[in-house]
Amino acid sequence: MAAEEQGEVKIHVEGDIVAVRKVVRSVATQMGFGITDVTRIVTAASELARNIFLYAGSGIMEWHVLRLKGRSGIELSFIDLGPGIPNVSLVMQEGYTTSGGLGMGLPGSKRLMDELDVWSEIGKGTTVTIRKWKKA
Amino acid sequence: MTLEENITVIKVRNVLMVAMPAEPGDLTVSTMQEQVLRAMEKYEARGLVLDISLVDTVDSFFARTIAETAQMVALLGGLTVISGMRPSVAITVTQLGLTLGNALTALNVDRALDLLMDIAERS
Repeated sequence: MAAEEQGEVKIHVEGDIVAVRKVVRSVATQMGFGITDVTRIVTAASELARNIFLYAGSGIMEWHVLRLKGRSGIELSFIDLGPGIPNVSLVMQEGYTTSGGLGMGLPGSKRLMDELDVWSEIGKGTTVTIRKWKKA
Repeated sequence: MTLEENITVIKVRNVLMVAMPAEPGDLTVSTMQEQVLRAMEKYEARGLVLDISLVDTVDSFFARTIAETAQMVALLGGLTVISGMRPSVAITVTQLGLTLGNALTALNVDRALDLLMDIAERS
């Protein structure tokens, strides 16, 4: 039975953050990640989905199963058409926050995952992509 | 549409107890805080046990709400104990750099109650 290799979740209302968590949990678990890694991936996804909701209002999460040199990995892209991030390197610093203590959770999410990439353009939008690879 | 759950706060002797449901959304988390504060006012409880043994994910919003709630309970003269945190959640919360404020932790509800009773006896 072939499992799904990609999908997406729309992020429009606060309740969609839970939907993101459920989908990511299901995908990561089916891929065979251990419980602690599943928790890390789901938590990072929750943070980034929340960012979309907080800063852009709405957006989408796309997920893909990656296969590279016999290893599999999960890739999540959080895409919005929001205001964009003026200074990406600034928000990647520990402790930087613009929304009264809420913070962007980017450094934290980066710690939970193997890879984190940010693309952003003022007035156009932001895409944050995270990846985690299954231990061989 | 996700259905957020009702939160029930029960009073056991002089302590409030709440069991968080699985996969709580933001509304459920905020409702927990509201219900706890209402109950603190109503019962003049000396503490709160918040059981999270059903919770798979604690993100920054939940952690912050826990810390805030513990602070509010403290201002009303009470102590907060978080019980039943899963190891995977403890690891993730630590790696995300989150803290639970002045909330104490216990492995399970029984130990949480013992802890609160202990502290109450000494003071």
